Amino acid sequence: MSTVETPVAPSDDAPPLSQLRRLAAFATSQQAILFLVLVAVMCFFDFQNARFFGTSEFGNLIVDFSTAILIAVAEMYVITSGGIDLSVGSTIAFSGVIGAYAMQFLENHHFGEFGSLLVGTIACAGVGALVGLINALLITKARLVPFVATLVTLSMGEGLALVFSKGGTVGYDPGAAVWSATGFWVFTWLSVIVLVITAISGIVLHFTRYGRYNFAIGSNPFAARAAGINVNLHVASVYVLSGVLAGLNGMIWYFQSSGGAPQNGIGLELEAIAAVVIGGVSLTGGVGRFSGIILGVAILTVVHDGLTFINVATTWNEVVVAAFIALAAVLQSLGSGARKRT
Amino acid sequence: MSTEREPILELRNINKSYGSVKALTDVSFKAYAGEVIGLVGDNGAGKSSLIKTISGVHNADSGELFVDGIQRHWKSPHDSMAAGIETLYQDSGLAPDLTIGSNIFLGRELTRNGPLGKFGFLDQKSMERQALEELEKVGITVPLSKRTVSQLSGGQRQAVAIGRAAMWAKHVIILDEPTNHLGARQSLEVLKVIRAARDQGLCVLFISHTLPHVLEVTDRIIVMRLGKVVKDSLTSEYTVESLLGTITGLNT
Amino acid sequence: MNSRSMRLVQGAAVASTLAASVFTFVGGSASVASAASKKYTVAYVVGAASDPFFLSMKKGAEAEASKFGITLEFQGNPSVYSSATQIPIVRTLLATKPNALVLAPTDTKALQPLVAQYISKKIPVFNVDSGDANQGNITSWVTGNNSQGGQAAADALAAAIGYAKNCTSASKCVVAIGVSSITTSTDAARLKGFAAEVKAKYPNIKALQPIVSNSQPAVATSGFKQDLAANKVSGIFAIDGTDLEGAAQAILTAGSAGKNIKVVGYDAYSTTIKSMKAGKISAIISQQPALEGKDAIDAVYAKLTGKGKITKLLTLANIVLTPANCAKLCSTYVYKTA
Repeated sequence: MSTVETPVAPSDDAPPLSQLRRLAAFATSQQAILFLVLVAVMCFFDFQNARFFGTSEFGNLIVDFSTAILIAVAEMYVITSGGIDLSVGSTIAFSGVIGAYAMQFLENHHFGEFGSLLVGTIACAGVGALVGLINALLITKARLVPFVATLVTLSMGEGLALVFSKGGTVGYDPGAAVWSATGFWVFTWLSVIVLVITAISGIVLHFTRYGRYNFAIGSNPFAARAAGINVNLHVASVYVLSGVLAGLNGMIWYFQSSGGAPQNGIGLELEAIAAVVIGGVSLTGGVGRFSGIILGVAILTVVHDGLTFINVATTWNEVVVAAFIALAAVLQSLGSGARKRT
Repeated sequence: MSTEREPILELRNINKSYGSVKALTDVSFKAYAGEVIGLVGDNGAGKSSLIKTISGVHNADSGELFVDGIQRHWKSPHDSMAAGIETLYQDSGLAPDLTIGSNIFLGRELTRNGPLGKFGFLDQKSMERQALEELEKVGITVPLSKRTVSQLSGGQRQAVAIGRAAMWAKHVIILDEPTNHLGARQSLEVLKVIRAARDQGLCVLFISHTLPHVLEVTDRIIVMRLGKVVKDSLTSEYTVESLLGTITGLNT
Repeated sequence: MNSRSMRLVQGAAVASTLAASVFTFVGGSASVASAASKKYTVAYVVGAASDPFFLSMKKGAEAEASKFGITLEFQGNPSVYSSATQIPIVRTLLATKPNALVLAPTDTKALQPLVAQYISKKIPVFNVDSGDANQGNITSWVTGNNSQGGQAAADALAAAIGYAKNCTSASKCVVAIGVSSITTSTDAARLKGFAAEVKAKYPNIKALQPIVSNSQPAVATSGFKQDLAANKVSGIFAIDGTDLEGAAQAILTAGSAGKNIKVVGYDAYSTTIKSMKAGKISAIISQQPALEGKDAIDAVYAKLTGKGKITKLLTLANIVLTPANCAKLCSTYVYKTA
């Protein structure tokens, strides 16, 4: 049969090609603008104190980036699938406390440093998986909206962290801190592990079937279901994945604070969401680039660290972060506004 | 339509009740490859119940359903899809934030050759290329398959959605109000795609309230009223007035 | 930061307190009716209730209260030191009509309206540890001498870094400071005492902007590491226990850069004493939380019964613990949490 003459392309209600190209360029340039701003901010800090572009400070930045990135990755997965996970911050506290108990127990029974660290890591991930599973059940079985379901586990995690730790740091272990600082050049071994996990997460999100389903469900769950995707199973798996990443983040914090402290990670879900917003990820799901959250976390880390570095009172931190969120949000709404006008 | 041909889809005495409400009563018809059948009726006439029965959303209480000459019992919509029936519901459609190619292959993604494919790595290039080719077969040319669906007009979206159904259906595509909410010009584009799908040898079940569209694109029209098939005739035998009369039951 | 969730947790806590207080109150009235010795209920609200400092204070207060037969309602947000979380607790306890309120205000001004409400209901209000900026409504304030502690910290730190030998006007010694909150009277007083002493006696010390940790050790760690990377830091003054933990951690992970940094800081947690014994901390400024708790209850008892005297402002000296005197003093002053 013969093809019908280009029936859909040139109709006047379709955006013309050149305009689309410009739009595409604009969409990518939101990240480009943020990247330039980031570089400018770093140059500003270095101009204030030339030690900023030194290996010592870069090492600090990478460590702090590593302590923040995993829950941002978790939030990225959940938000692009159309949900939200408020429990990631409290899971850091909860998993860290339980993991610390596990390590304390094993070390007391002469398990050896490496063995107990390994089991501690598994315990942290396991606690995270458990929290994620509760989220998954509340959302897919009890049909709670993700905001409410994860609000429940947020409070639960904070509460249980306090109950189990009795308020104090569990398993004070300066040796863990010393190990966590070892590495090469500006990298610690710990940050290398985190960066590898981050890279794998990004590849899975953008290049595999699992990631494709994630975006599809976030974009239109009805279409995904009609296409034969098991939407509930996927959504459940995303919350478990988010929990596991938050649990591993709890282990990072264990190293950062030489133990499992119940205050660890409190409020960090908002930082993670801020990073996701700055990175240009749509809070309504379906849209976002992994490079965006890398940029988002990098900006938050540089701002937090840099202001202290140049000896500005830390009280200004949140104000500057707010300015970045506003900048990103404005760039985003300009972009979607342009799309609507065509 | 030559009557000695085997029907691709056949319903015999389908009955369906929701509690005490009788939704379908002894519904029977035959549908053949290469024809567009209009399925019309007022609200509550049983159109939705009928397409849900055919697509496997639910089962009939009694009656028989044949696809390609074989009697079928659906356990889920997957069964009907596997048997070659694609259904496009009003609310399902496409994922607006994915590219056209990704939408066409949604749920049936191509993976790479070799070990990476085993881990679910996508072969995006092949998908984009094949999507273009398949859409062209039903008369849709989209210059940039990397465009996301949200960047398309409403008519283009619906055309792509039908193209998707046509690409995967072996035998039958069911379209539920595909021209709803579309402007006149966009509707024409959609109707062209429907004809192209028919010309490919598919059977199209076209459910619509927009009678001029039904009269324009279909070969045959089945009219339902209160759960029963009240008329099943070639489209040429209807006018807008007579069709409306049959639907409402005021001039039979 | 996490006030949403904490409000939930705390809601439950307050509800149970409420129930308990109502019961004890009813019980109290009954015993008055029977003309037996009067039983008092005292509301006692602190900052972060799980902080070892406040846990230790609780032990001291509880022991004294049980001696006098006082029922103690010891409350506080489990982990957040913030007026936003403290105010609802204080407000709820007002409804239980306690005989007195002992309060460690988390902000020098934010609690004032509530304190006025207590006064209008003829409930005397006492401050412990931190204090209200307006002491007119406060019967008595028992506190560590934080200004003196800050001065002592400056002296200890100057000694530790070898001020006379190493710090000159040409090459000043840089000192980093960590606080938990800049709106708390105790932190502010220590900072002020420290700064005043540095200004008066150690002009060749340059103090950096304080790191604000919000009671999270890891936040303090990250901040101190910034200071360490940006400057050649000789010493750190950690204004409370979480900052001290954070400082020790920052030095541990800073490698060679952290080697010669001297740390002086507040609060004799068991963990910080362990660090001092390991040579990571040069001196610990210890408060006397258990004694503060005891003295506050004594003041309450004196006010309610007229027995004993009330001191308007009772300041307890801060104790300087060093590796030299630790064997003698540490076991006495370590904050006992259990």
